[in-house]
Amino acid sequence: MTVMLTTKDLTYWYENSDNPLFQNVNLQFEPGKLYAIVGKSGSGKTTFLSLLAGLDQPKAGDILYEGTPLKRIGLTNYRRHDVSVVFQAYNLFTYMSPLNNLMTAMAITNSTHQGNKQYATEILASVGIAQADITRNVTHLSGGQQQRVAIARTMACDAPLVVADEPTGNLDEQNTQSIIKQFQQLAHQQGKCVILVTHEPDVAKQCDQQIQLVNHKFSVV
Amino acid sequence: MNFIKRAWLNTSAKWGRTALLTLVTSAILIFVLAGLLISNAANKATEQAKRSVGSTLTLSANREKAFKKMQASATSSSSSSRPKLTMTPVKLSDAKKIAQNKNISDYNVTVNSSVNAKSFDAVSTTSASPMGNKMGGSGSSTNGDITVTGVSSTNLVSSFQSKSSKITSGRGLTTADAGTNNTVIESELASQDNLKVGDTITVKNPSNSKKTYKLKIVGIYKASSISSTTMMGNDPSNTIYTSYTFANTVKGSKYANTADDASYQTVKKSMSTVSGFANKIVWLVALAGTIILALIVILMVRERRYEIGVLLSLGESRLKIIGQFFAELVIVLVVSLVIAGAGGQLVGNKLGQQLVSSAQTTQTSSSQTTGNQPGSRGEAPGGNRGGAAGGHGPMGSSPTATQKQKATKTKLETKVNATELMELGGFGLSIMFIAVLIGSFGILRLEPKKVLIDD
Repeated sequence: MTVMLTTKDLTYWYENSDNPLFQNVNLQFEPGKLYAIVGKSGSGKTTFLSLLAGLDQPKAGDILYEGTPLKRIGLTNYRRHDVSVVFQAYNLFTYMSPLNNLMTAMAITNSTHQGNKQYATEILASVGIAQADITRNVTHLSGGQQQRVAIARTMACDAPLVVADEPTGNLDEQNTQSIIKQFQQLAHQQGKCVILVTHEPDVAKQCDQQIQLVNHKFSVV
Repeated sequence: MNFIKRAWLNTSAKWGRTALLTLVTSAILIFVLAGLLISNAANKATEQAKRSVGSTLTLSANREKAFKKMQASATSSSSSSRPKLTMTPVKLSDAKKIAQNKNISDYNVTVNSSVNAKSFDAVSTTSASPMGNKMGGSGSSTNGDITVTGVSSTNLVSSFQSKSSKITSGRGLTTADAGTNNTVIESELASQDNLKVGDTITVKNPSNSKKTYKLKIVGIYKASSISSTTMMGNDPSNTIYTSYTFANTVKGSKYANTADDASYQTVKKSMSTVSGFANKIVWLVALAGTIILALIVILMVRERRYEIGVLLSLGESRLKIIGQFFAELVIVLVVSLVIAGAGGQLVGNKLGQQLVSSAQTTQTSSSQTTGNQPGSRGEAPGGNRGGAAGGHGPMGSSPTATQKQKATKTKLETKVNATELMELGGFGLSIMFIAVLIGSFGILRLEPKKVLIDD
C-alpha cells in the first residue's frame, strides 16, 4: 500500500479557544482514492483540509507528503507542485477567461504542459465547458460551469493531491453529480488522491472512503 | 513573467478602474511635470541670463590696501615726512591677459580725468561751480572744468547700454580709437560752442596749463537724464569721452575697469524664486501623489484579497504578486506619462509665465525701493572703487531701467524633452513602488487560509 499523505499527531486550536479543534490526528491517504471528510458545520473539517492543502500550519504534529514533512518541503513549494485546491466559492481569476485561468495556473505551478493552449482547451472540453465559453470571462458562466473550470484548473496542474472544500455546496443536484463524476475520474483514472470536505451525505456516499469528524475526533467509516 | 501577463489581463479587463487610475495618475504627473519643467526652465533661464546678460569684471587698484600701506609707512617711518598714498595702477597687460579668458566676451578700460577747455567754453551751471574744486581729492590733484572719461568703447559704457546716453551725430568710440585723440562730446556743449562732428577742440592739462591737447570730435551724444553733477562737480554736459589712452596721457597711469552684473542678478533672483517655488510644487505633489496612490492601491489590494489568496494557494510567490500590482501600475504610468507629457507642457507654460510675472513684479518693486536709497542707484558694484575721481559721471546713471526690461523679457521655455519625461517616469515609478509596498503590506503577511476560508 502506497501512502501519499500522512498526518502524524496533528493538533490544531484557535488562538482564542481553550480546547483544541482536534488533537493527535493520525490518518493516511492513498493515491487513486476519493476521500470524503464529513461532519457538522463548525466541526473543523475545513480547517483540517486547509492544513492538508498547506494553506495553514498545524499547532502541533506533522503532515508528511510522501514521507517528507511539509515544513521541510516548504508550504509555498508544496502548494505549487504537490497539491491543488478546489474551493466552494470557486475562487477563479474573475478578470480572465476559463482558458486564461488554466494557462495562468499551469504557469504558476510549472506544469509540464505550461503554455500549451491545446492541452488546456482539451481539459476544459473534458469537464464539459463548451468551445464558445472557453474565451468568455468566467463571471459570465454559471456556478456549475465555474466549478467545472476550477476542477479543470486542478487537472491542468500536475498536482497528485487534490483537496476540495464543499465543491458542490453551491450547486444543484445535476451539477453536483457531474462534479462528483469529475472527481471520481481524477482519482480512479488519473491516480490522484482526492480529498473532499462535504456535509452532504449523498456526496459522501459516492466517495471511496468516508472520514467522520465528531466531537473533535476523526473516525474512518 | 506570468505576473506581467496577469497584470495586462487585469488592466485590460477592468478598464473602468484602469481609466480612473490613469486619470488620477495623470493629474499627479501633470503637476509633477509642470513643477519639473518650471524648475528646469528657470535654471536654464538663469544660465541663459548669465550668458546673454553677463556680468562685468572689475579690475581696479586696491584703494583700501593703499591706505593701509600708507598708514603703516606713517607709523614705522621715523622721518617727519608726510606719508603718501601710492596707488598701484592696474597694468593694462594684466587686464588684456584676463580678457583672453573664453568666458569674457568684452572688456572696457575706464580712465577718469579732467582737462580745462581752451578753444571753447565749458557749460557752466550755478549749482555746479561751487562744488567744482571741492570734490576729487586733495593735495596734488587739480581738477579741470571738462571731465574726461577714457574708455575702450562707448558702447560698453553703462549709460550707453541703458540708452540714457545716445549718439545723436557721428559715431561712438571703439577699440580702434585707442591711441587717437578722437572724442565724443555732449550735445549741450556742442550747441553752446557751435561744435559739430569733424571739428577739433583744444584742451589744457589742469596741472600744467602749458600742456595742450587737440581733440577731434567724431561723435556727439545726448544724455537724456542729466540730473546730477559729476563727482568732480562739473556740469554733466562737460563730460567728454575719449579713448582710455588719451585720458591716461592726461592723468598718468591710473585706470579702472567697470563692473556691472546687476542685470544678471535681477534675472537670477527672479528665476531662483520661480525655481524654488517649482521645487516645492514637485515635492508637495509627489508627497500628496504618493499618499493618494497608496490609498487607492490599499483599496485595490483589499478588494483583490481573494485573488491574492488564490494565487498563494497555487503557490505563487509573494514577490511576484507585488510584481503584478506594480506591473499594473506601470501600465497605467506609461499611459499617464503620455497624457502628462501633453498636459504638463500646457500647465507648465501657463503656471510658469504667471510665476515669472509675479516674481518679476516683486523683484522690480524691490529694485525700485532699494534704488531710492543712497549708494544703490543701480551703479555697478564696485564700479567706483577704482579710486580715480569722477566715477561714472553722468554715464553712471541707473541701469535699472534696462534690467527691468531684460527681466520682463525673460520667458520660461517650458519644453518637454526625453530627460524630463524620464525624470517624471522615475518619479512616478518611485511613487508607485512605495504605494504598492504600503498597499500590499497588510494582505501579503496573511496566510492564504485567512484570506480564502476564514473571511
